Amino acid sequence: MKVGAMKVEINGESREIDDDAETAVELIRDGLGLTGTKLVCGGGVCGACTVHLDGRPVASCLLPATALDGHALTTVEGLGSTPEHPFQRAMMAHDGLQCGFCTPGFVMAGSAFHDRWRAENPGARPDREQVTAALSGHLCRCGAYEGIIAALQGACAGEFDEPAGAPPRVEAAAKVTGSARYTVDVTVPGMLHGLIVRSQRAHARVDRVDLVAALAAPGVSAAVDLLGEDRTVRYHGQPIAAIAASTPATARAALAVVAVGYTDLPAALDVTGAEGAPVVYTDKAQRKAAPSSAEGPPPLPTWWDGNVRGPATISLRGRRAVRMLDAAAERADPGYLAATFRTAAQAHTALEPHATLADWRADGTLTLHASTQAVAHLRDAVAARWKLDARQVHVVAEHVGGGFGAKTAMTTDTVAAVELSRAAGAPVRVVLDRAEELIDGGSRPGTRTELRMLTDGDRLTALALDTYGDGGVSIGSQVAALGAFGYGRGPRRLRDFDVVTNIAPSCPFRGPGGAPFAWAVEQGVDELAHRRGEDPIALRRRWDGNRKRHALYDTASALPRWRNRGPAASGTGRFRRGVGVAAANWFYFLDGDTRVALTVRGGRLLARCAVQDMGTGSRTVIATAVGEQFAGVDVDVEIGNSDGPHGPMSGGSRTTPSIAPAAVAAARLLREQLRQRVGGTAAGADGVRTASGVRAWPEVLTTCEGALVTGERGRDRGGFLVPFLSMDHMRIGRGMSGSVQVTEVEVDTLLGMTRVLRVWSGLAVGRIWVPRLARNQAEGSVIQGVGFALYEQRLHDPNTGEILTSNLEDYRIPGIGDTPEIDVHFYEQGWEHVPGGGIGLGEVATIAVAASVGNAVHHATGWRPTELPIRPDRVLEGLAR
Amino acid sequence: MTAFITAAATIGEFRAGGTDLSERRRSGRSTGPLVDLTGLPGLAEITPTPDGGVRIGALVTVEQMARDLSGYPALAATAAALATPEIRAVATVGGNLLQHTRCTYYRNPAFSCVKSGGDGCPARTGVAHHGVADDRGPCVAPHPSSIGMALLTYDAVVEVSGGPARTVAALFGDGSDGTRDHQLGDREILTAIVLPPPLPGERGAYERATSRRFAEWPLVEAVARISVTEGRITTVRVGVGGVAPVPLRLVGVESLLLDGAPDGPLAAAAAAATDGLRPLPHTAYKLPLLRAVVLDVLHRALTGPDQDAAGAPRP
Ligand SMILES: Cc1cc2nc3c(=O)[nH]c(=O)nc-3n(C[C@H](O)[C@H](O)[C@H](O)COP(=O)(O)OP(=O)(O)OC[C@H]3O[C@@H](n4cnc5c(N)ncnc54)[C@H](O)[C@@H]3O)c2cc1C
Ligand code: SF4
Ligand code: FES
Ligand code: FES
Repeated sequence: MKVGAMKVEINGESREIDDDAETAVELIRDGLGLTGTKLVCGGGVCGACTVHLDGRPVASCLLPATALDGHALTTVEGLGSTPEHPFQRAMMAHDGLQCGFCTPGFVMAGSAFHDRWRAENPGARPDREQVTAALSGHLCRCGAYEGIIAALQGACAGEFDEPAGAPPRVEAAAKVTGSARYTVDVTVPGMLHGLIVRSQRAHARVDRVDLVAALAAPGVSAAVDLLGEDRTVRYHGQPIAAIAASTPATARAALAVVAVGYTDLPAALDVTGAEGAPVVYTDKAQRKAAPSSAEGPPPLPTWWDGNVRGPATISLRGRRAVRMLDAAAERADPGYLAATFRTAAQAHTALEPHATLADWRADGTLTLHASTQAVAHLRDAVAARWKLDARQVHVVAEHVGGGFGAKTAMTTDTVAAVELSRAAGAPVRVVLDRAEELIDGGSRPGTRTELRMLTDGDRLTALALDTYGDGGVSIGSQVAALGAFGYGRGPRRLRDFDVVTNIAPSCPFRGPGGAPFAWAVEQGVDELAHRRGEDPIALRRRWDGNRKRHALYDTASALPRWRNRGPAASGTGRFRRGVGVAAANWFYFLDGDTRVALTVRGGRLLARCAVQDMGTGSRTVIATAVGEQFAGVDVDVEIGNSDGPHGPMSGGSRTTPSIAPAAVAAARLLREQLRQRVGGTAAGADGVRTASGVRAWPEVLTTCEGALVTGERGRDRGGFLVPFLSMDHMRIGRGMSGSVQVTEVEVDTLLGMTRVLRVWSGLAVGRIWVPRLARNQAEGSVIQGVGFALYEQRLHDPNTGEILTSNLEDYRIPGIGDTPEIDVHFYEQGWEHVPGGGIGLGEVATIAVAASVGNAVHHATGWRPTELPIRPDRVLEGLAR
Repeated sequence: MTAFITAAATIGEFRAGGTDLSERRRSGRSTGPLVDLTGLPGLAEITPTPDGGVRIGALVTVEQMARDLSGYPALAATAAALATPEIRAVATVGGNLLQHTRCTYYRNPAFSCVKSGGDGCPARTGVAHHGVADDRGPCVAPHPSSIGMALLTYDAVVEVSGGPARTVAALFGDGSDGTRDHQLGDREILTAIVLPPPLPGERGAYERATSRRFAEWPLVEAVARISVTEGRITTVRVGVGGVAPVPLRLVGVESLLLDGAPDGPLAAAAAAATDGLRPLPHTAYKLPLLRAVVLDVLHRALTGPDQDAAGAPRP
């Protein structure tokens, strides 16, 4: 619809606008270039697009552009280019953000609430219920809610009327003012817009992809085929082709005229793996090409039976384990337990969608702006795929709006953008929409686990796990295998299967396999403790040889909420409270090749590394690690560019234990170099000791412009677990991280709603580099665990295989009102063999959360949930039994 | 008046706050021209009527209703509980009543069904977890309008430009017409809702069953209005949503309570909430849930919200 000329006051300035955008968000972002306002859900659910219309927050994705006519529009940019609003300052001080993609929306809603609140309730502090209700139209996938709540309360109470000191997160100001640029915000002159043609069939041979009509459409510059050599689509939504056009609208119009000819093949749409079902992969080559959802080492080769792949077996006297379990079942041993646990597929759905802007120049250079967790790895993967010299490829990701594992590999947006840019001879940007993001933008596979365990009380005497992964066309579910790493060395048989179907694939998601593993095993342990009438922490302490976790058990069992918890199912009212515990461990990965370059520039230090920050705080960790060695010096950090010295991918919790030691090494080298330059006798954190006294670093730096060193990550004391194996720069270090969660829930036995009230999260990950950011990440891990436990469930249509949960209304992630009070406890010992003494935490902190919720629900009600998510209908059905 | 005639004569779909329509335009369920109603005069106010009731203009926002209808606590509570603050700020009462179904299949351009102008209903053989608990026709999507449900419990009159005034029940029909979400003609403009005066000492309560705390569409929802005179329930009205292709009023539950004592057994009355309902295979769970939600709103309407504190024993 043509808007015609409108008069709008934009950020205080009267403007005449003539734009044919239909919704306000398109006008604001594309027409006016005010990219602080984000588009995420397009459906009024997430609040990322919030602006003020005449001072009141509204969702600009649903607001007709015409509704602006004659009104005043304020975007986040209108609040000022420096964080001047008290709520912006409070967000920085309380670190109410991680990736920052949701932040401008929260800032707009929170600032409006703040202004109104203070006018109506001067001096008062709003309670948690009031601020969460006010922000209930906003979603944060990173789960920075605790900081946001504290920030809004503090700002309303007048605690941030003056500028505060430096925020804990170095790039916070850019994120709260909306000036942080993400890939979706980057435009370059002559840029085209790419869209992806996706399969309308679950399983079909593609006989024809007719791009002629699309190429003839006005504004269209390129069309490319994306289908593999076997010309087969195996899931509804699979990419087939892509087109690039001058505007999003012309691209959409062209997309509609691409003709695809299919010959339907029978599709396997349910995960029973039943014999006689249509087969997804018919030969070895196809199976080898199947995508994988495993993190780290590739899935072990194993055999296939129709759609069932596996088992991939890990055994410790496996046959003996099975014999013992059979005998125990036979004699009805009270220490024997058999149960089936199910988890749903969980979508990553980072708020910034997958996006790539590719610019393939005639001179052979290829520059990518990409929303990626791995600038360096993506550069290498792109160079390999298109047979370029890695020096010709540059990957830039200044800010990344979340990833959680879905942005570690090269994804369709990148392939399409590169191909289109090459074909068009122009820069092309491809941005997935929310539906695409929720279809194949990434998910954790669903699982079914058959658990059998036996105890004599003192230890886990035998264990058998059979897990069937449900990752659509993807393989690599590794759940049962994790049983090799905990609760002693008793006999066990651990078997992992994949049941493939013609459904969109999964990919690695924060602690892959860990959460479904804990859901089954940690509930099994709890159930055995319950049957024995024993404290579940005491039982774990006996079974668990991990010393770091013992320290966590000690603290957890001393918590008043644990000590006072009473017997299971002792409540009688409508609302029943319960407290549950669960534990987890996780691998310690690192990138041993990481290097950080450090330069003296303008009297400051500049650190560079080809790492990226998707909200986990890489910039801040480097700045802190360097800053600790150079008192009083300002440290700038340049990351998010593959041209920097090699950096780790942000996956497998490896970022911090890779970059922090490298940064410290660089700082030490530089200190030494500077000491020599100024002829000092020794260098310390405060400065260089010379004959005439200590010369402080800020002063020394002014005389050493340009000094440059590169620090290396180096090895751990005692080396790595697999000394010779480095997979794509990744190494497995010695030791496992540990976590223990104590969770309190309230179950509404009338309406079936489960609320998580409080979580104590104990983490044994060694030294914490930046406490506030680490806590934020740990809190976010809890919130994603709560989502996995209670709400999140990817669903597909059983007849067509189409993903139904393709918007944020139907795919439910936790909101701010679902945030428990979270108490994070760090146990900092036990990692002395690692330089710097600490490792990553993003994965271990989320794994046990759902299991602790399940155990708490059991403690509250006497009913044990076995299937995720714990929906109201399941609760009511369970309680009625 | 001429403004209304011009608007009605302009070909296109009407747009008020646009919160439903914009989403459907993105998903391709609304194409073609639009006619903005926002400029129409006199529709954005709540005005008292001579008999002590109110006239709510069609462009009055949900936020205004939540704020300014304290004499109608059940309606105000319903308005306050739906969607998000950002949506309530612009969503209008007219748009709320006339919004289209939220059925996942309907909003997904890959599917077609009776409601989107095609045939059949893919939800019936697909995922119908959110479907109706009373199968009344070809479409099994519950009606989305929470406000429509609340208005059913008042003897509200819907005023229409270009057509006769009608009751809220008539606006929606009986749920057997699967092709549409309401029975307003294409060129008819809803102009206002007229409410009779509140009941003496009227109390109200609203509740929805969801997984999450805020901003989630209800599995089922219910609203109750009750007035008690001299120790007897003299008026009781119960409306429910999420149950049928149209909002429902539960006359059966009401009649069991009428004239009874306010501390009488509520559970028996609430149990009647599901009498005669024909659930789908996937929505049988909604029957106990519906009885529970109805029990909850009755209880709260009679005893006040403070009784809902955590841990309070239920009747
Ligand atoms: C996250 C979210 C959660 C929500 N939860 C709920 C909920 O729990 N309960 C609930 O009831 N709603 C809910 N909604 C829906 C919301 O209430 C509606 O979108 C809104 O009320 C529609 O009003 P509008 O003015 O924006 O309508 P529009 O989008 O402008 O119009 C909607 C439809 O009504 C027609 N129309 C509007 N006004 C008139 C008129 N005066 N005369 C004739 N035709 C007219 C239009 O042609 C259009 O077809 C939710 C929405 C979102 C985004
Ligand atoms: S329930 Fe109604 S709207 Fe949904 S698919 Fe069936 S007919 Fe269409
Ligand atoms: S993008 Fe507008 S609410 Fe999500
Ligand atoms: S900080 Fe909120 S989505 Fe990342």
